[in-house]
Amino acid sequence: MESPLHHFELHPLVHLSLMGFDISINKAIIAMWVALAIVFGLFMLVVKNGTHLIPGKLQSVLEMALGFVREMVGEFIGKEEGPKYFPFVVTLFFFILACNLIGMIPGSYTITSQLVVTGTFAGCIFILTLIIGFAKHGFKFLGIFVPPGVPKIMIPFMIPIEIISMLARPISLSVRLFANMTAGHTVLFVLFGLAMSASLAIGWVPFGFTVIINGLELAIAFIQAYIFTILTCVYIGDVIHLH
Amino acid sequence: MSESNDFRQGLGIAFRLGTEMMVATLLGAGMGYGVDYFFGTKPWGIVAGVVFGGAAGMLNVYRAAQAMTEEIEKENRDQNNSSSKDQDGKS
Repeated sequence: MESPLHHFELHPLVHLSLMGFDISINKAIIAMWVALAIVFGLFMLVVKNGTHLIPGKLQSVLEMALGFVREMVGEFIGKEEGPKYFPFVVTLFFFILACNLIGMIPGSYTITSQLVVTGTFAGCIFILTLIIGFAKHGFKFLGIFVPPGVPKIMIPFMIPIEIISMLARPISLSVRLFANMTAGHTVLFVLFGLAMSASLAIGWVPFGFTVIINGLELAIAFIQAYIFTILTCVYIGDVIHLH
Repeated sequence: MSESNDFRQGLGIAFRLGTEMMVATLLGAGMGYGVDYFFGTKPWGIVAGVVFGGAAGMLNVYRAAQAMTEEIEKENRDQNNSSSKDQDGKS
């Protein structure tokens, strides 16, 4: 029996190296390209056909999704500041959603089940929030570590706590997406392994569960993309408003 | 429909709060371990680190839960408003 984590392993398909760096192409990279192509293609299809005042099916679906993200950005970042960060947030949302959904196709690869990928996203967002904070508030930005209304005697305790809670944000952001995707696909694999190894008389039970969990996974793909983007908005909003 | 929606929302909240707590505590412990390693203050760095990390985790969970409560309250208010509007329209 294969290890349940076997299908997360990556093997280079094409060996490439650039100035000593290993840039071999593997399944994950191809899946990422496909995700990129799907998102780009969907939007380009609408734009190519011309946007109409009375939208077609595809256009109205995409407009609804964009409106949904726009509302989210407006609520958490602010009406004036929001539009500046809207393109970034909406790109993040659609890319993560596409990656999660591509992972649902049997035989493909879930890129977001790699901690490297989600960690890179979260790390970039963390650095972005730091840059925004310092650019907007200068050194007053360090005041984020001292919450308002704290007694003076508590400040030496609050500063390390606030620093840890600040540093925990990108880690929890990346670990959440990674753990959810990995756990879901591992459960699917284990259940399917049970269904395959059991006789037909009893094998239909785990197979039925596979179908149910598949539905749940589909929901989780959407929820996790949504949570990731909403938390990005919250973090950007936090450094802009400073309490 | 609404029941399964609630279930999924609850699942999202549970995942979110759980990781928030765990990550902060582990990060605090890790930083404490690092302090021990570099300054030779074994075992006090990790003790303080776990305590501060746990406190940071609590703080994060508290903030997240507070934001969620506000959201739910707002939703309830909106629903109440719209339902009262409906009643007005009917009467």
